[in-house]
Amino acid sequence: MPSGRGSLILGLVIVVGALFVLSAVAMAQSGAEKAMSVEYRDIPGLGSRNIIWVIAQQHLLLAGFVLGVPIFAWVCELVGWKTKDPRYDKLAKEFTKLLTSAYATTALFGGILLFLLIGFYPKLMAYLTDIFFPSFIVYCILFLLETATLYLYWYGWDAMQGNKKGFHLVLGFLLNIFAFFIMIVPNAWATFQASPVVIAEGTAIEKAWAATWNPTWWPVNIHRLIANVVLGGFICGAYAGIRYLLAGSREEREHYDWMGYVGNFIGVFGMLPLPFAGYWLMREIYQYNQQMGITLMGGFLAWLFILQAMLIGVLFLGANYYFWMGITHRIPGAEHQYRKPILAMLIVLMVCLGVWMTPHSLVASLEEARKMGGTHHPLLGVFGVMSAKMTVSNLMILVTFMSFIMYWRAGKQETATWARLAKAVMGALLILAGIAVIILGVWGYFVPAIIRINYFSVAQVLIVLFIMLTFTPLTALLMKSAKTTAEMIWGQMPVRAGYCLVSNAVMVILLMSLMGYARSSSRVHWHIYGVMRDTSEYAYSPALGYAAAFMSLNTFVFCLLVAFIFWVATMGDKGKHEPGKPISRSEPVDVPGGMAPAMAGGAPRVHER
Amino acid sequence: MSEVALLQLIGLIVVGCGIAILLFIRAMFVRVVGFVVIVLGTFSLIALGVPQMPSLPPAIETFDITKVKTPDDLAAIGQKIFFSKGQCALCHSIGPSESARCPDLKGIGAKLTPEFIYESLTQPQAYIYLDFRHNGPPKEYPARMPYINKDPIGLTKQEIYSVIAFLQKMSGAPISIKVEDVLKMGTQEDEVQVAVVSHDR
Repeated sequence: MPSGRGSLILGLVIVVGALFVLSAVAMAQSGAEKAMSVEYRDIPGLGSRNIIWVIAQQHLLLAGFVLGVPIFAWVCELVGWKTKDPRYDKLAKEFTKLLTSAYATTALFGGILLFLLIGFYPKLMAYLTDIFFPSFIVYCILFLLETATLYLYWYGWDAMQGNKKGFHLVLGFLLNIFAFFIMIVPNAWATFQASPVVIAEGTAIEKAWAATWNPTWWPVNIHRLIANVVLGGFICGAYAGIRYLLAGSREEREHYDWMGYVGNFIGVFGMLPLPFAGYWLMREIYQYNQQMGITLMGGFLAWLFILQAMLIGVLFLGANYYFWMGITHRIPGAEHQYRKPILAMLIVLMVCLGVWMTPHSLVASLEEARKMGGTHHPLLGVFGVMSAKMTVSNLMILVTFMSFIMYWRAGKQETATWARLAKAVMGALLILAGIAVIILGVWGYFVPAIIRINYFSVAQVLIVLFIMLTFTPLTALLMKSAKTTAEMIWGQMPVRAGYCLVSNAVMVILLMSLMGYARSSSRVHWHIYGVMRDTSEYAYSPALGYAAAFMSLNTFVFCLLVAFIFWVATMGDKGKHEPGKPISRSEPVDVPGGMAPAMAGGAPRVHER
Repeated sequence: MSEVALLQLIGLIVVGCGIAILLFIRAMFVRVVGFVVIVLGTFSLIALGVPQMPSLPPAIETFDITKVKTPDDLAAIGQKIFFSKGQCALCHSIGPSESARCPDLKGIGAKLTPEFIYESLTQPQAYIYLDFRHNGPPKEYPARMPYINKDPIGLTKQEIYSVIAFLQKMSGAPISIKVEDVLKMGTQEDEVQVAVVSHDR
């Protein structure tokens, strides 16, 4: 990367940071003096809220990518360092290259968002500044630390190889620590708006601290952390998918096929615990304010969760389909062996998706409603409640996890003496877990909601987690001594695999946009729930159709923006590498068993043929 | 044409453009763009097919304390303040609640005198309430009571006495706050004695 661009980015970040501090100071003073006479400003025709919606969405999606990528880039680097496999180091560097290019754009959109918020919502911003000013300072310091660490991490990559690799890994670790805090500080501002606590007398720091520790802060922190990894993984997967479709040589196809697999693997790996984090967040919202929970789940936003189910369902199908295509196209001879299990999994996923998407109250004419005996269908209405939806979501997670395990084991023959017993135990556990999840789901209909929420749903989640936490190390142990019966062939995936990776990324972006709308709309006509009312002409929440059109627009703009950023980031590569030689193939290295080959796509080596 | 119909038309055109790109364009990147356009257009069309329910804000209620005629009017204003500007309901519940971050206020208006409630609201650290209803040491609540008459809540004296009237009414006790005394207070911090029927603490 040319150093001129680096200086430009650093300069941009510092300017944005300085402007942020100056603006915050000005806001704090004006807030203290209560000199605000203007509550709102607007740009007629466009609408202040629409503009904020687009800019905030772009900033949040970019921020999610920028904060999610360093996590798995660092893990890849760590795996490469431990296994001494240079592929992981190169992959980690490629991820970080995408991160570095997206970083400045994220900061730019953050700066634009701040100016617009101050301009459009001066009263609200003065109020928030008065409470959170100390955390603004902390945020600026964190931003500077993050920028400096990212520079050292990226520019020092080649210089810090060999015996300096340990220091480079420490830098990567610090980068993630700063990134985590950069995420949770603004989360405090946003979650305070949704679940404010009363601010008692005290110093500025005491007030900021009290407001920060609001009831939904940690659930959102955890949910966003996982979601950022998912977003980063699937976007990297989509990037690899497009590069795969555009690849002109076999080597390029092999490399981007592998990168696409890793991106999808990271996305799926993060996606599995995400519903649990979402469940915890919803639970905290209900505990904080039941009315807010009802607005989300049973009020005007109820249909939003049907759309969410559709998007998650398509994402699960896409992720599984990609695994299945990997089995049938990358592993010769595996197609016949796994055809039946794949068909069974597809049926289970489709049935689960059907149940998850079933609304509690059907859209029906008066005559139809009369025939049904109400808006609840006598049969389908049973599937519209949370007990059914929790059950099928857990089953879908189980199926997806088993797709991954199946992919991991494909093309290999276990040699351990206890392999037969282990597989029998795993099979029995899987069947028992599936039955237990279904029994708890059915039982959930006959107990009070509080019992279901506090015990049954939690038990379902724990059962699925138990399966994942026992099967993963057990499979890793089995694969450690397994012999390869069919070598993995990369670069053979059909064109639809590339489209599948793109579709997965689009689904995740849409999901984040949709749930951002839900979180914002759950405050209904309040800027700060129950504390500061929105008295502007935009105090209403738009209907789902209008909102979805906006989400689609935001997703499209974001995809084009990311494509442009990645195109700029990889422009220099064409000059460095000859066509057909995008990555160097180093000498084969003995790779230990365990999770690393699973992350690499199940094969001991990509280039061992 | 309604907004929904217009958006549906746009969605159909977008999906049509995506299909046309996939049918007639060979450049791979443009084809991927076409695919994304089809996915987004289809999502919008599905979202436009479900019931469309915007959430409209309730009308902003303004109250003029000078128009208060009866103690019940005062309590009605107090109720609105309790659930909005006063932010009381952010922490306090009326009746037992698992998630309450402060003591339950059910029956508090009948149990405590208005002077004591007023002191609790304006000098919250003067007397710390300890909840001994549980076994073992008294329950500690996570939230700290703010000064209600200071920023950021900043209720006026009239508003505070309206809330006290609401607490009394909600507890089934007679409202002892006299309307004329509250009206005399104005919005100034003048010390107007409020006539109250005394209760034992």
